[in-house]
Amino acid sequence: MPYLGSEDVVKELKKALCNPHIQADRLRYRNVIQRVIRHMTQGLDMSGVFMEMVKASATVDIVQKKLVYLYMCTYAPLKPDLALLAINTLCKDCSDPNPMVRGLALRSMCSLRMPGVQEYIQQPILNGLRDKASYVRRVAVLGCAKMHNLHGDSEVDGALVNELYSLLRDQDPIVVVNCLRSLEEILKQEGGVVINKPIAHHLLNRMSKLDQWGQAEVLNFLLRYQPRSEEELFDILNLLDSFLKSNSPGVVMGATKLFLILAKKFPHVQTDVLVRVKGPLLAACSSESRELCFAALCHVRQILHSLPGHFSSHYKKFFCSYSEPHYIKLQKVEVLCDLVNDENVQQVLEELRGYCTDVSADFAQAAIFAIGGVARTYTDQCVQILTELLGLHQEHITTAVVQTFRDLVWLCPQCTEAVCQALPGCEENIQDSEGKQALIWLLGVHGERIPNAPYVLEDFVENVKSETFPAVKMELLTALLRLFLSRPAECQDMLGRLLYYCIEEEKDMAVRDRGLFYYRLLLVGIDEVKRILCSPKSDPSLGLLEDPAERPVNSWASDFNTLVPVYGKARWATISKCQGAEHHVLELPNTASFATSGPLIPEANKETVQELPESGALTLVPSRHLTAEYFEKTWLSLEVAHQQVLPWQGAAQPGALQMALQVVNIQTMAMSRAGAQPWKAYLGAQDNTGCLFLAELLLEPENSEMHISVKHSEAQTETLTSFISVLETVIGAIGDIKS
Amino acid sequence: MIGGLFIYNHKGEVLISRVYRDDIGSQAADSAVFSSSEPFPWTLSRPCVPFPLRRNAVDAFRVNVIHARQQVRSPVTNIARTSFFHVKRSNIWLAAVTKQNVNAAMVFEFLYKMCDVMAAYFGKISEENIKNNFVLIYELLDEILDFGYPQNSETGALKTFITQQGIKSQHQTKEEQSQITSQVTGQIGWRREGIKYRRNELFLDVLESVNLLMSPQGQVLSAHVSGRVVMKSYLSGMPECKFGMNDKIVIEKQGKGTADETSKSGKQSIAIDDCTFHQCVRLSKFDSERSISFIPPDGEFELMRYRTTKDIILPFRVIPLVREVGRTKLEVKVVIKSNFKPSLLAQKIEVRIPTPLNTSGVQVICMKGKAKYKASENAIVWKIKRMAGMKESQISAEIELLPTNDKKKWARPPISMNFEVPFAPSGLKVRYLKVFEPKLNYSDHDVIKWVRYIGRSGIYETRC
Repeated sequence: MPYLGSEDVVKELKKALCNPHIQADRLRYRNVIQRVIRHMTQGLDMSGVFMEMVKASATVDIVQKKLVYLYMCTYAPLKPDLALLAINTLCKDCSDPNPMVRGLALRSMCSLRMPGVQEYIQQPILNGLRDKASYVRRVAVLGCAKMHNLHGDSEVDGALVNELYSLLRDQDPIVVVNCLRSLEEILKQEGGVVINKPIAHHLLNRMSKLDQWGQAEVLNFLLRYQPRSEEELFDILNLLDSFLKSNSPGVVMGATKLFLILAKKFPHVQTDVLVRVKGPLLAACSSESRELCFAALCHVRQILHSLPGHFSSHYKKFFCSYSEPHYIKLQKVEVLCDLVNDENVQQVLEELRGYCTDVSADFAQAAIFAIGGVARTYTDQCVQILTELLGLHQEHITTAVVQTFRDLVWLCPQCTEAVCQALPGCEENIQDSEGKQALIWLLGVHGERIPNAPYVLEDFVENVKSETFPAVKMELLTALLRLFLSRPAECQDMLGRLLYYCIEEEKDMAVRDRGLFYYRLLLVGIDEVKRILCSPKSDPSLGLLEDPAERPVNSWASDFNTLVPVYGKARWATISKCQGAEHHVLELPNTASFATSGPLIPEANKETVQELPESGALTLVPSRHLTAEYFEKTWLSLEVAHQQVLPWQGAAQPGALQMALQVVNIQTMAMSRAGAQPWKAYLGAQDNTGCLFLAELLLEPENSEMHISVKHSEAQTETLTSFISVLETVIGAIGDIKS
Repeated sequence: MIGGLFIYNHKGEVLISRVYRDDIGSQAADSAVFSSSEPFPWTLSRPCVPFPLRRNAVDAFRVNVIHARQQVRSPVTNIARTSFFHVKRSNIWLAAVTKQNVNAAMVFEFLYKMCDVMAAYFGKISEENIKNNFVLIYELLDEILDFGYPQNSETGALKTFITQQGIKSQHQTKEEQSQITSQVTGQIGWRREGIKYRRNELFLDVLESVNLLMSPQGQVLSAHVSGRVVMKSYLSGMPECKFGMNDKIVIEKQGKGTADETSKSGKQSIAIDDCTFHQCVRLSKFDSERSISFIPPDGEFELMRYRTTKDIILPFRVIPLVREVGRTKLEVKVVIKSNFKPSLLAQKIEVRIPTPLNTSGVQVICMKGKAKYKASENAIVWKIKRMAGMKESQISAEIELLPTNDKKKWARPPISMNFEVPFAPSGLKVRYLKVFEPKLNYSDHDVIKWVRYIGRSGIYETRC
């Protein structure tokens, strides 16, 4: 792909497209068009040949038509005026005798994402809805949704909705499903398509005629239907029974979800359903399609959370095979850890032990942590296995085992003795921060039972200067002080040395503070130290908090067969929260222009923004159409309105700075990478009245100065000064954190 | 719904990109590019290169998945609140992108279907083929998905819409046009009316893959067969077919009357753990009578898919013996035994015996076939072209090791095996396939039928 030469390519293609000789030869003409599409795919800006491509659309060659329409759908938003020229051809094609041409033209016309196209597509869509070829009807039905999407939030066209509802009775199954999809999008704000009794029954009867995508979709829509009576409910369940055994895992999962939700008041039905899908789920888990297998495993884990014994007899199905991809192995290990019971614990542990010596360090550690999970119920066996693993003297194994021990001792205090006996000697094999922290914590808390604990800690104290992780140093301080309480004679000297080092020589603020704090604490007296440091050594009751046993099926039924089990509940919550914020933006009423307006500062950040000094009159809003291109154009056309120099120590921190700026709704347009000299960044922002602020940051490390130049689209000194003060505060804050 | 579909080669170059929805890409993925450790795509001298339309989603996937340093942790990746579902075929990546909370199984199934359809059109999915059939793929993507919703995806039905040769609209005959209309309005979505063949023929392939995990002591840790019955039909009209196999439940049901028949056939019937059928099979009939009746699509399709775990015929037994002689030498002896009728021949047998990383030299002696030490793969590969049933063959190897001070013990990966046998390891047998066509005058006897059994190895491993 030519990186900079796109202008030349465009020029050349333009010439070729205009060449009458090429235009006369159908194959050559099509080849040139193909090249345009190929460059477009690779990411070159091909909007330059739009005019020529529009001309090429007037042809009888269907392939050429398809290619040109694809091109137009991509670039129409950039060239709305030129795209209007193509509408004529498209409209003509919409009344072509060939249904395929009609469908194609209609589909393309609806996919032109540009303002103003609505008035042209409305009539063809209405005609399409009544077309005799179902192919065209399918396209037209989805076209309604596309049209609504273009309109944004304009009012719903009642007549159109009624038309769509009546098309639910169409002969063609795909038209029916498309109708549902389309209605769902059009009526999104009113809660989506309404599934009442006649519609639900109609859909249920058509189910077997649909293809797998349709079935999955309809099952999803049926979730919304509330059967009136118990009798009706069971009729529906009977009718859908065969879909639990469908060929397609997606349909099986969809049907399962529907069963679980409909039968939410009948726990025995739910359990029954889960027993019945066991077979299909296991089949999916051992299928050759690995990605599907992954999805199925995620759902198996979900089921295991409420029915721990559900897959216990099939534990061998979840043994990992050597050649399976990493992600499946990791899931299987988790499943094994969940389904363990008295009968299979021996075999499962045996298997997990085998994984601990796997070549992939990642997988080996996952297996060790899984043994740690099993250890909460079968402590003795597991501790024995883990202790044996320490004998291998391998770095990644030892660190994982020690971390497991740390958690285990906290949750199952009965194993403390065994753990303490296993610990001596493993300090030689631990290099990473997590492992060291775990070991030091164990030595500090249970030091009185480990004879050589002070000597191990002494080694750490000796080498504290070369220690790279501040967290380890903090852990070391706490541990040594704890050990000092139980074994003062052996620890006093080195505690003194460590405190001295931390207070006098350490550069990390947090470590220094911790050191000072302990030093002052010791000055107050030993009783006070005891009161503060000697917390309980373990608390098994916390295990319950961490791992709430047996969640009811209803708590996750609505998440079944979505992305929630795949990502995990916590991760999905963060993802969807951000998405929610975005939706909020999208739902705000759009004025004639593109600009979105309104308070867009997320709740959590509001305070920070309000605290900023002098920002009173100015409200910055995130601008959605402030593109890099637009920025460049504006930047060049404006004069510098204000220049300023701020003090700045050391190198720039692009990541932190960008985040901080985002909080106050200043967009980072471009930025050089960390460590570049001189370091530059371009920023842009917009306030609620629509004026733009553009800024350049220039950092010259040798002078320790940050030069700021600001350009402003309107000459209002008031808002300009408040924008500068906002910018100043942010840069100042980041600078403070650093130094 | 799917927001967009991208196909990449192994270098991360985009071969195909089709965006169906505006919500993917735009600024959301920007931050992903920012936060990744990769250098920025633009340099200081040109700080404001306009981002081409929606390239960000495309780039984000390349940086975070294809070029990621660690192993891929999940086939579903979330980058800047956009989910990327990917499937890899040889060195081609197919990624479906969405912002919605979709169901993962469905998206993957769709990607598989996409691969199947492409394979049906141009064979193997490779970079070469994708580049050559670039127009065709765009055509397919146009028909299969609309606005991100899956539409018609049956290869047979699609053939009507895809005009790779570019038929001129005027030249298209009236007949073809009416075909499109009737095909898409017909009650049976998977078969069009008016199909005619001079020779009515059908081919049945029973394709099984047998999976095994065996302990060094010869104990079966897990074994299952996943099988497919693939039918290729070239039948005229709207034929009604009925398929029968040696399913335990059916045989027992029929055998109720005559007791000695049960005992005769009881041995040969198999227990199917679960099975699923092509959309064309009438499930209600299967549930009530356990009979499989259907009107088949024209051409090739997968009639059923099943899985068995009981009474599997394991075609080969692998008996490993590994002895460590001192610190620098290993002796390996592997015996394979074929366990099926002597009259049958297994083919393409390949045994991979892993060797430690610090192997310096290997000497191999084998009775049959060819064996070679492949240093790049850290394995001895033993290939045998053909082997009859109830035979035995062995290989012995001396592996010399370099002395290392690496304390890491060798993990001893399992010995894996590949083969192909001409029978079904599950024991499944096709008992009959009857064809009825009430309207046209050909009967069951006039149809030429072919049945073939192929058993292949799936993951067939023996630990050592």
